[in-house]
Amino acid sequence: MADSIALPRLRPISPQLHLFKLLPGIALLAAIGYAGKLLEQNLSRYGKAHHLVIPNIEYVLWAIVIGLAISNTVKIPDVFLPGIATYEFWLKAGIVLLGARFVLGDVVKLGSISLVLVALELALAIALMTWLGRLFKLRPKLSSLLAIGSSICGVSAIIAAKGAIDADDEDASFAIAAILALGAIALFTFPLIGHWLGMNDHAYGMWAGLAVDNTAEATAAGALYSDAAGKIAVLAKTTRNAMIGFVVLGYALHWASAGQAKTISNKASFLWQKFPKFVLGFLLISLLATAHLFDKEQLTSLANLSRWAFLLTFAGVGLRTNFREMTKQGIRPFIVGALGEVAIASLTLVLVLGANRVFHL
Amino acid sequence: MSEGNEKKSSAIWTRFRISLDTWAVAIALAAALLVRAGVLKHIPW
Repeated sequence: MADSIALPRLRPISPQLHLFKLLPGIALLAAIGYAGKLLEQNLSRYGKAHHLVIPNIEYVLWAIVIGLAISNTVKIPDVFLPGIATYEFWLKAGIVLLGARFVLGDVVKLGSISLVLVALELALAIALMTWLGRLFKLRPKLSSLLAIGSSICGVSAIIAAKGAIDADDEDASFAIAAILALGAIALFTFPLIGHWLGMNDHAYGMWAGLAVDNTAEATAAGALYSDAAGKIAVLAKTTRNAMIGFVVLGYALHWASAGQAKTISNKASFLWQKFPKFVLGFLLISLLATAHLFDKEQLTSLANLSRWAFLLTFAGVGLRTNFREMTKQGIRPFIVGALGEVAIASLTLVLVLGANRVFHL
Repeated sequence: MSEGNEKKSSAIWTRFRISLDTWAVAIALAAALLVRAGVLKHIPW
């Protein structure tokens, strides 16, 4: 697969020099994110000062749109690429810090509801993607990767599964391109559907966390709706991410039994290796906040640190999305992904609306 | 970002010996500790 913004190969040099190489890209992420924040504030001020009704467009959307505009119009200089790739680091650090905004009781309550919904979503998504893959005669391992990507957490899950099931690079590229393209579409459609249906923040956040595949896009789709929806979307998505090891292990065992992947000798070690450690960090910070280790002002500071980390992430989401490169990946995996995603989004919407009625999310 | 970039991204982090996830947790916990200790105060938004 051609790289949309290919990162240069880094020679084995000292960690300090590596950190230095990250700085230009991180500065670009910060500049784009901050420009989005300034645009939101200044447009709102301008509207008020001139008695104009200007819709409040959140910094999240501005940061993504500016990033998209840059990545789809100019070639990003190589010097920025290593730092842009840190957007995933900022996402995970932001999620850990977001734990401070959750009392552990809420995590247990909402996490338990999420867990039940995630289990249903997993079964539905895997069955549906496998069936669609057969219907459209995709290669079986490509179907497996699409099923893993759409049921758990997008790109990370596909990369984790690729090695475990010995899938081709080409299959992984197809699956990743389809998941990323659909994630970009979800960013803009989910908030519109949520507002159209008049969903409350919690129900919408739960839906975004369950149905949007990539963690960065799920976080952004939630934050685009409201701050509270963003919080719940992260919780639901984190619950989903925690399942990655089990699903990848299931697929690895399946392909190993078919003689087309390596056998796994130590399943516990495999699960720990695939488990996203930031979930534990999120729970730890939530536990510390619940134990009143932080006062009110400190909790506000931690929440704001989390927002700053997400600001860099949202800029990275825009910068890494190159539509021209995505269209080069072929139409069939995209059609299978799109059909599957629409069905999964509809089914999870029904699940969430049902859960909202029963549990008053 | 394409798969190539995703792989290179994680390669960047594994060069620092521990995974991206573990780095993110370590840095976030260190930041929380600094806030708790009063070193980082009044972080605005």
